[in-house]
Amino acid sequence: MANRPQKFQPPNRLAKKVKKSGGPSAEKAILRALNAAEDLIDSYQGWAVDDLAELWKAYEDAHAAGHDAAQIDKMFEIAHAIRGEGGSFGFQLISTIGDSLCKFLEGRKELGARESEVVKVHILAMRAVFRQDLKGPQPSMERDLRQLLALLRERMG
Amino acid sequence: MSGYDFETLKVLVADDSRPMRSLIKSFLLGFGVKEMYEAADANEAYEEVKSNEPDIVITDWRMPPTDGLDLVRQIRMDMESPNPYLPIIMLTGFTELHRVKQARDAGVTAFLAKPISAAALYRRLCTVIDDQRPFVRVGEFFGPDRRAKRRSEPYMGVERRRDAQ
Repeated sequence: MANRPQKFQPPNRLAKKVKKSGGPSAEKAILRALNAAEDLIDSYQGWAVDDLAELWKAYEDAHAAGHDAAQIDKMFEIAHAIRGEGGSFGFQLISTIGDSLCKFLEGRKELGARESEVVKVHILAMRAVFRQDLKGPQPSMERDLRQLLALLRERMG
Repeated sequence: MSGYDFETLKVLVADDSRPMRSLIKSFLLGFGVKEMYEAADANEAYEEVKSNEPDIVITDWRMPPTDGLDLVRQIRMDMESPNPYLPIIMLTGFTELHRVKQARDAGVTAFLAKPISAAALYRRLCTVIDDQRPFVRVGEFFGPDRRAKRRSEPYMGVERRRDAQ
């Protein structure tokens, strides 16, 4: 016999604890949040350069190791972190490229020479974004880049 | 016009990325949150849950070698859990529908896709605070009612709005 669902009404502690008025307006709170994070956002590029260097090293190690699954997983881990961080710190294009690289790497067990070139193109594209300091929303460039990378994955993958 | 007063809120932020933890904590500080804890993986996070009893957990999904979903299951199902009803916001770069369902089936309260923005995080906090859904225990699942369609139910899909940036 299938289990019957049991329902519980949890004590609504949060609603009691957080007043819906008395704090700053949503606009003010968000502005304060952006101000509070300003220095961090400015520092991001420094950390990102380290992440990118780590990704490049993983790429070179993968190349030397014959692109086995463990090395591909490592590249995926780094690319996954970069795609989450890039846009959060104002570099939306980094997230776009990171997302494309994750899609390309996820579930792969090996990489041939052609596929390896696809990885390289993604890393070089990220480098170019930082070199050109392409920060903030870049909707048309983002759309073009997304299409271009999808085409690259399709043709080369 | 005034808004939510987050001053008394205790929030735990779990993410293996130090920059992401710092960014989220800065956003929370800007919203007025005074008490914050952080953890770099699920085990550390669960220890923080037990020792500091936060009001909300914001956790990343992938925190090698652990997993945010394990943290969710521990909070919901473990005998030692201080609050199985604890609101949990799952933060992740995984945005595919099957992943959203997987997070929901683990008992997550709300889902927020990376890259994040201050506006999107603010909205998620508000919807989680307003969430009135009952909890359901069925089979191996214990968590917010997945079938509830109330106005206060947090949006579980991917945040794509441009104004969220």
